[in-house]
Amino acid sequence: MAGISFREVRHTYRPPRGKPVLALEGVSLDVPDREFLALLGPSGCGKSTLLYLLGGFIPVEGGAITVGGKPVDGPSPDRGIVFQHFALFPWKTVRQNILYGLEKQGMAKAEREKRAQEFVELVHLKGFEDSYPSQLSGGMRQRVAIARTLAVEPEILLMDEPFGALDAQTRALMHEELLAIMRRAPKTVVFVTHDVREAVYLADRVAVMSARPGRIKEIVDTKFKSNARGEELLQTREFADKVDHLWKLVRDEAIRAQGTRA
Amino acid sequence: MSGAAALEADTRRTPARPLIERLAGALWRALPVIVVCIAWQIAPSVGVINPDALPPLSAVVTAWWGLVTDGSLASNGLTSLYEVVVGLGLSIVVGVGAGVLMAWYAPVEAIVSPLMKSLYPMPKSALIPVMILWFGLGPNSKIASIFAGCLLPVVLSSYNGARGVDQTLIWSALGLGASRRRVLWEVVVPAALPEIMAGIRNALAISFILMVAAEFLVGQHGIGYLISFLGDGGVYDAMFAGVLTVSAFGFLADRVYLLFMNRMLRWRE
Amino acid sequence: MAGMSDPGRREAALTALRVGSGLVFFAAWQLTAMSHVFSDFLLPSVPVVFERLWHDLITGDLLYGIVLTLIRTFIGFVLAAVGGVILGVSIARVPLVRWFFDPLVSVGLPMPKIAFLPIFMLWFGVFDTSKVLMVAFSSIFPVIVEAWAGTQNIDKYMTWSAMSLGVNRHRFLWEIALPAALPQVFTGLQVALPIALIVDIVCEMQMGGEGMGGSIMTDMRFADSPGVFAYIIAIAIVGMILVKAMEIVRRRLLVWHQETQTA
Repeated sequence: MAGISFREVRHTYRPPRGKPVLALEGVSLDVPDREFLALLGPSGCGKSTLLYLLGGFIPVEGGAITVGGKPVDGPSPDRGIVFQHFALFPWKTVRQNILYGLEKQGMAKAEREKRAQEFVELVHLKGFEDSYPSQLSGGMRQRVAIARTLAVEPEILLMDEPFGALDAQTRALMHEELLAIMRRAPKTVVFVTHDVREAVYLADRVAVMSARPGRIKEIVDTKFKSNARGEELLQTREFADKVDHLWKLVRDEAIRAQGTRA
Repeated sequence: MSGAAALEADTRRTPARPLIERLAGALWRALPVIVVCIAWQIAPSVGVINPDALPPLSAVVTAWWGLVTDGSLASNGLTSLYEVVVGLGLSIVVGVGAGVLMAWYAPVEAIVSPLMKSLYPMPKSALIPVMILWFGLGPNSKIASIFAGCLLPVVLSSYNGARGVDQTLIWSALGLGASRRRVLWEVVVPAALPEIMAGIRNALAISFILMVAAEFLVGQHGIGYLISFLGDGGVYDAMFAGVLTVSAFGFLADRVYLLFMNRMLRWRE
Repeated sequence: MAGMSDPGRREAALTALRVGSGLVFFAAWQLTAMSHVFSDFLLPSVPVVFERLWHDLITGDLLYGIVLTLIRTFIGFVLAAVGGVILGVSIARVPLVRWFFDPLVSVGLPMPKIAFLPIFMLWFGVFDTSKVLMVAFSSIFPVIVEAWAGTQNIDKYMTWSAMSLGVNRHRFLWEIALPAALPQVFTGLQVALPIALIVDIVCEMQMGGEGMGGSIMTDMRFADSPGVFAYIIAIAIVGMILVKAMEIVRRRLLVWHQETQTA
């Protein structure tokens, strides 16, 4: 069971020079197993910080974060992460990047080569196994990052505005690919974004965060009754209404965030 | 960002903090140097290190004072200063002019650029013997060496700085009715200033190196000459004092220039 | 993906340009010499200089001097490279080391390290040891600075990705930090090598003996101006070859790096 639980999480950002800033305050949230949750909010609201706390990259100072009942204690392959700017190892080829996590797990050579190839094909990068990231487009690099993370089969997938650096067309394609991957092997996903439409389209639920100090303002169910997919879904009334509702929630916070920009 | 740039950025970005805090911070940063000084005093004194090879710090300081009081430090220092100022100054005047004009007027570039490109890999200190050949054993050969060595970095950074000026800035000025010549001196040069000043900082360090190297080889007068003279004469504590003095001046010159540069480029983010 | 011959063609064009500018330079030199604005002593004609160069090449003197200079340069450079990388990485990762060396490095960087030559001569004599150590001392600074910066400024998210994929604390340095820092470390080495060459030549000029620096000073003392100019050209060529060699090594070693792709 990989349910996630946030209880009264607070976090203070302490820059090396300057005053400490309260980034998160009293965040409480439950993410059931296999749910796709989007964290939506204006810039600076702390949604990425919350993700990094969950990932174990920043220590939890106030409150508690548990996964499957156990508190988070440092990074782990169980909580795989995908970053906005890919964070690939530039000196490794596509295949070597994907192999990395598998090597760390001590898998046998033949098996990990096989597994890596599976994931190369899963993200439709067959033929590019021996390319370096610098030779690939943004969309391709993000697919490598996703493959690299999924290859170690984490229970939870953390995504930090993963498609933010891509152009609109590529982003739309990546949405479909991500949903297809999730249908094949469902996981718990926590997806950070500031794009309302993306959140509504991809997620089962959307948690709207307030401007700094971040709090959960409201959680909105975004599962769709309609059977439409892809383009069709984006045209439905249901979709538009949900987007509208969330946009209103976010807008107030976005305005407030503009005013408090340091 | 490059390593040296990172170090410089560190010195630049300190916000205005209370004086006590800044002094304490400076003291903390200087502590390793203090530790080295203490070790320098103790080790030769107790014989851990041969005091003939490394005189204790106190002996060096005493010798330094001796050099100050008998005037040799001042007179040699002034000679060296003169050489650097003239050599570097000339290279700045000629270099900035040439570099900017090269970037602005294509015919100038056509003539000068190939020369620059072929002279670029020339290791600067190797020109000292040529300068001796041309100017004999006197201050002129040293000044010429400094000039020759500093010229290229200044030209290159001026050229790159001028070339790198945002086209839209130039077009705006031209559109506002300025003549090409005015745009050059009133828009391009100021916009290129950061890179030009960085190039001059580089040239400053080179000028010190060439000054010392040329004085070793040419002799006659100057602080480099003083150091090797003292070394040949076996007066090691004074020799160390001389080495430290010129090193300190190199460091100070750089820091002072950095302050000046940041002042001039205040408008930079 | 752009045709792979494009970088090759660009390289060829750049080399042609360099050769062309070299020819312009020698043409300008020859014309000035022939105009006799300066005496034959001050500016010997190009053929005289090249004849001298050829003569020394045949007798083996030139190669002997080059080899000696290069050996000293390389030994000093390797010392600086190894020491500089170790020190630079340690400064980035070990707070105590950083506390101690940070001020020393930033103070030492703008100092004219050549001023320490008499000290090195005092400590290590007037033969190869002092030259090699002086070379190492002068060229270690850029290596330290770049290795330090390269290790310090590793992308945080890449580090986190590695941690998330299960990297071991002890293996992190070798598997992630050093490869990531390699471009910047190599830049430091590229800056250090020409410094090593020129410091070695200055040492040879000051201390005499054999090697390109010693030869050029000897020729100068004998007022042998074709010899002086010949050796300047030889030094310049050696310098160019070293820089070019480093560029080639960089391109092969860092084939994965962005700049190689966008070249």
